[in-house]
Amino acid sequence: MHVPQAKPKPGKPIWPKIPAAFVRAMLAGHSALGLAFAALIYLVCFSGAVAVFTSEFNRWEQPTAPVLHSVTPAAVGAAFEEVLAKNPKAHDLFIRMPEPALPRLSVHGDDAKGGEHTWFADASGRIVAEQRTPWSEFQARLHTALHLPGTWGFFLVGLTGVALLSSLVSGVLSHPRVFKDAFAFRWGGSKRLQEADLHNRISVWGLPFHVVVSLTGAFLGLSVLIVGVLAMVVFDGDREKVFALFSGPPVADDARPAPVIDVARGLAVLQAQNPRAGFNYIFVEHPGETGQHMSVNRTTPGKLSRGEIIIVDGDAKVLGPAGFESGNLGMAIYSSLTPLHFGWFGGWPVKVAYFLLGLGLTAVTASGVAIWLARRRDKGRPAPRWERVWVAFCWSQPLAYAVSAIVALLAPSVPPVAVWGGVTLAANACAFLWTPATLSIRLRLTSAVALALVALVHLGLNTGRPVDPVAWILDASLVLGAGLLAASVWASRRTAQA
Amino acid sequence: MIGVGGLALAPLAVAGALLLRRAWTHADARRPWLIVGGWALLAAALVASAPILGVVRGPSIMLALASTVALAVVAVGVELRTARRKAPRELALEPSDRRRVAWRGWLRGFLAGPLGGAAAMGVGLAVAVCFPAEVKTRLIIGGMLVPFLWAGGMAWTLSDDKILRALAVLVGVTVLGFGAVFLKGTL
Repeated sequence: MHVPQAKPKPGKPIWPKIPAAFVRAMLAGHSALGLAFAALIYLVCFSGAVAVFTSEFNRWEQPTAPVLHSVTPAAVGAAFEEVLAKNPKAHDLFIRMPEPALPRLSVHGDDAKGGEHTWFADASGRIVAEQRTPWSEFQARLHTALHLPGTWGFFLVGLTGVALLSSLVSGVLSHPRVFKDAFAFRWGGSKRLQEADLHNRISVWGLPFHVVVSLTGAFLGLSVLIVGVLAMVVFDGDREKVFALFSGPPVADDARPAPVIDVARGLAVLQAQNPRAGFNYIFVEHPGETGQHMSVNRTTPGKLSRGEIIIVDGDAKVLGPAGFESGNLGMAIYSSLTPLHFGWFGGWPVKVAYFLLGLGLTAVTASGVAIWLARRRDKGRPAPRWERVWVAFCWSQPLAYAVSAIVALLAPSVPPVAVWGGVTLAANACAFLWTPATLSIRLRLTSAVALALVALVHLGLNTGRPVDPVAWILDASLVLGAGLLAASVWASRRTAQA
Repeated sequence: MIGVGGLALAPLAVAGALLLRRAWTHADARRPWLIVGGWALLAAALVASAPILGVVRGPSIMLALASTVALAVVAVGVELRTARRKAPRELALEPSDRRRVAWRGWLRGFLAGPLGGAAAMGVGLAVAVCFPAEVKTRLIIGGMLVPFLWAGGMAWTLSDDKILRALAVLVGVTVLGFGAVFLKGTL
């Protein structure tokens, strides 16, 4: 940081001159869209930044599950058979094998009553515990579907992605000083100028990330709608025909009983064929039927894609790949969308970058509304209620996330979404009590305390037990986050007093 | 090692961002060279990442890391101002003032939302059904076009003061897009 310096002499602008009327019209559209979707965009961006670490939170929330860096086909087969034995009529089972981000062996399936369970296995394939990670599941579903029923949540999140993408377009077109202000970041003094600098600098330098996450997110969210309309138009409404195009070699349904598929042998065959590849999941369909088969996901180092799905039939015969890595351009694009959206393609440095850039996009959304509110105030038309509501809403999220995590750790049977909703409402209710400055300071301080408490509770529950080391790193990160929030309060008080 | 490979190239991006910042703060004769040098270093980091980290994955990693380090350079150069001193007047443009007419607001919302979505869907499906490429490729490209076109249409209809023109264009695009899909009928 440095104190005010001599203003650089303006050079000749290299950005083409954009007519002021065009910029003003774009700003009007940008403003209207941003205000209409502000809360949703904020929520989706904040939850998305946290969701980058979904695998790590899974490990953190149940840190005593066995950490495995590799696993034999025999162990995978044993785990599969033990879970299938719990419900031999299971329609399908999903096996996750260890990979760097999630070094665990787990099998997911339903019980006889339709309840879904995931079990962890040790290195020999013996089931040792049931997965209980309600908070990790809560935060992931909040980002992907806002916990709304059916496909409504996906659609709303997709629409939010479209609105964000549209805001990027109108934002870039209404920013004629993109180079002139490239590094201007003024803090303090005029509220509007401060928020505008924050908004524009993060928007411009984070633009590649913003475009990627909004486009991929909008597509992933709207894919249900797009597939539905496509199926309606060309397949008489049969969605399965659209999905079948991406599923690889087909295996005909045949419900006659057959010896259960030998998962270990099928995996061993694939490993022999691809000795340098990794395998991270297996989806077994119709086990115990003649039409049983498994889809095995093979990952290739150095590729952006999620991997190649290979279909293996009930006799462990490899039927062929779906074509995600060996097929055409469309399949390559499709298989790279999820890793690109969540930052799951470049190890921890990319995850940290995505987390910071995601928080940056959250700050862009917050500052966008703050600019509008400051502009109204400057023009003599202040909206004090909205100022309070917006500050309360923005700072409610770190608090709601932290409190829901504490409750999930101490009382796993309480739905985290209920706690999150309750804390969000309570924090927003504070808008009736305090000024924006007080709200900001109190909610930040409370969030800092809550974040530190999450780490303390987690430490208290797990100290003295053999624990996945990632859990300690996350605890330290939570304490760091708490410290930064507290420091931000101290810094803003200092700036206000200066 | 995935992470270390990306971090090894990050200094190039840092150096590029620092050169650009130097060009921005010092308007002297070296400025054009600093700008060229800064962008060249950022481009070099991007290009070098392809053989080291993967043809598509490498640049994707570098874009994320370069954006982060550039923002860090911006943050390091923060200029603290005093709250009590009145800031110099800035020449930022104001959004255009529109007459507040209810039907125009509703129509604008309809254009940006459902009709824009239908038009984008029509074009996307037309590409998916009619574009001369492998079926899965045109399905994915057509599908990716939907949010992109919808977003563009949203930005345009919310900014354009002539909303009846926007209405006509969007209705026309919707009819043409879905017309092409129904005419062909199959993939």
